[in-house]
Amino acid sequence: MQDLSDIKIIVDDPAVQSGNLQSIVTEIYHALKKLLAKKNIHRIDLRAMPWTAGEEQQLEQILGVGEVKIEMNAMGKSIFQETSYSGVWWISHYNDEGDVISRLIEISYLPDMIFAQQEDIKSALERLKNNL
Amino acid sequence: MNRQTLLEMLQQQGVTRRGFLKYCTALTSLMALPPSMVSAVAEALETARRPSVIWLSFQECTGCTESLTRSYSPTIEGLIFDHISLDYHHTLQAASGTAAELAREQAMHENKGKYLVVVDGSIPLDNPGFSTIAGISNVAMLKETVANAVAVIAVGTCAAYGGLPHAAPNPTGAVSVSDLVPDKPLINVPGCPPVPSVITGVLAHFLTFGAIPELDELGRPKVFYGQSIHDRCYRRSFYDKGLFAESFDDEGAKKGWCLYRLGCKGPMTYNACATLKWNQETSWPVESGHGCLGCSEPNFWDAGSFYKALSIPDGDYARAAGYAVAAGVGIGAVAGLLNKNTKANAVAKHSSVSVDDFAVNKNNNNEGA
Ligand code: SF4
Ligand code: SF4
Repeated sequence: MQDLSDIKIIVDDPAVQSGNLQSIVTEIYHALKKLLAKKNIHRIDLRAMPWTAGEEQQLEQILGVGEVKIEMNAMGKSIFQETSYSGVWWISHYNDEGDVISRLIEISYLPDMIFAQQEDIKSALERLKNNL
Repeated sequence: MNRQTLLEMLQQQGVTRRGFLKYCTALTSLMALPPSMVSAVAEALETARRPSVIWLSFQECTGCTESLTRSYSPTIEGLIFDHISLDYHHTLQAASGTAAELAREQAMHENKGKYLVVVDGSIPLDNPGFSTIAGISNVAMLKETVANAVAVIAVGTCAAYGGLPHAAPNPTGAVSVSDLVPDKPLINVPGCPPVPSVITGVLAHFLTFGAIPELDELGRPKVFYGQSIHDRCYRRSFYDKGLFAESFDDEGAKKGWCLYRLGCKGPMTYNACATLKWNQETSWPVESGHGCLGCSEPNFWDAGSFYKALSIPDGDYARAAGYAVAAGVGIGAVAGLLNKNTKANAVAKHSSVSVDDFAVNKNNNNEGA
């Protein structure tokens, strides 16, 4: 065993539920409607939820896995997984040691962070110039 | 001393904008701010300079420092080395005695009026000799160090409210930081120990925005201490239905019912355990089957047995909870409501800890001493 997160958490009584699953799914539903109508981006911090053991995994199952998975490497790994609901992304950020540092759901066409950033393009230009 | 901004330092290390945004996302979550605040955090961090931090440990068990060094999100190494300049922490630093004191004096001198002081532990007043560092009494060191500080953070219930050393009969005459530092911006971060990510979250807030977060009447940041354990407890649906475990191994306990009757102090305790959890978000006391002890409240050690229920009336719980919902009152208020109504009853029975025993006025702290 390397880490506390390696200990499997088994839900032995599915009746013990915080009721948050339902409210998150509702929140996602309304956010997705807004994305379609007004292009509004919405993010939900999964860490701020009072989950019972296993509830977050249940949400992951409900949302399922979609067509696109993007891996980013910036100060540790990040995974942007499209869920089976188009426009709903499951995002996990890790640090260099591989610990999860944040988990989010983003409702957007493509997660913002994936786009090349102005500052990075500028420094890329500088570096390219030196190679001309 | 002109310190680099965090952004400049990250750029020097070759961190890209994406990396910086990712760091800001984690930090925003750590500070318990909504994800929509990420760009505001990024903007603030672009210009924030790394302040010098002096950490003083007085009458304490080192549990708070243990808790802090086990916070991982972002890693404490990241926080200490990237984000702050921890110039003095006599438990963590290599130097000791006079050499360590020299580092403290130097940091105070070089960053006069700008450094942050973090304190864990209470301060003994009966005899200053009860607790000294390099021959300097705690009270003298505190007063000298905070004199030119920009703000003070009292970490742990001992520093915030006196904590265990202050518990009756308070043999050392222990007092809290706020008792001795009335004239500086002060943030209380209580808990025995505080949730690690709450300690780092409060530090991060100050470092990011250069200001003190909004505090409640006991000096605690509302983002972390704004809601009671009970208000965010996943067992609350059982409380609402009046389903309580009566012993630690009965059917109710096995089914995960509410722990109120087993002494849970969740309804009177303001802390972030129910959402941020402990041990890398693995679990928290109530999830592990034990009631909340109320460790982030003043005088929790003297509030009677951890296993005695806050006074509850017989039978009427679900009904009162129902009324509260109908009336739009937060569930956390129900216990207060019921306790008020049945106080006479409870006193007569001497069977339970009352809300008044528990939520003691901080000014009455010395009564037990
Ligand atoms: S009394 Fe304790 S166990 Fe019961 S709902 Fe409140 S916080 Fe949770
Ligand atoms: S559950 Fe209660 S006693 Fe336990 S750490 Fe949290 S606030 Fe303290």
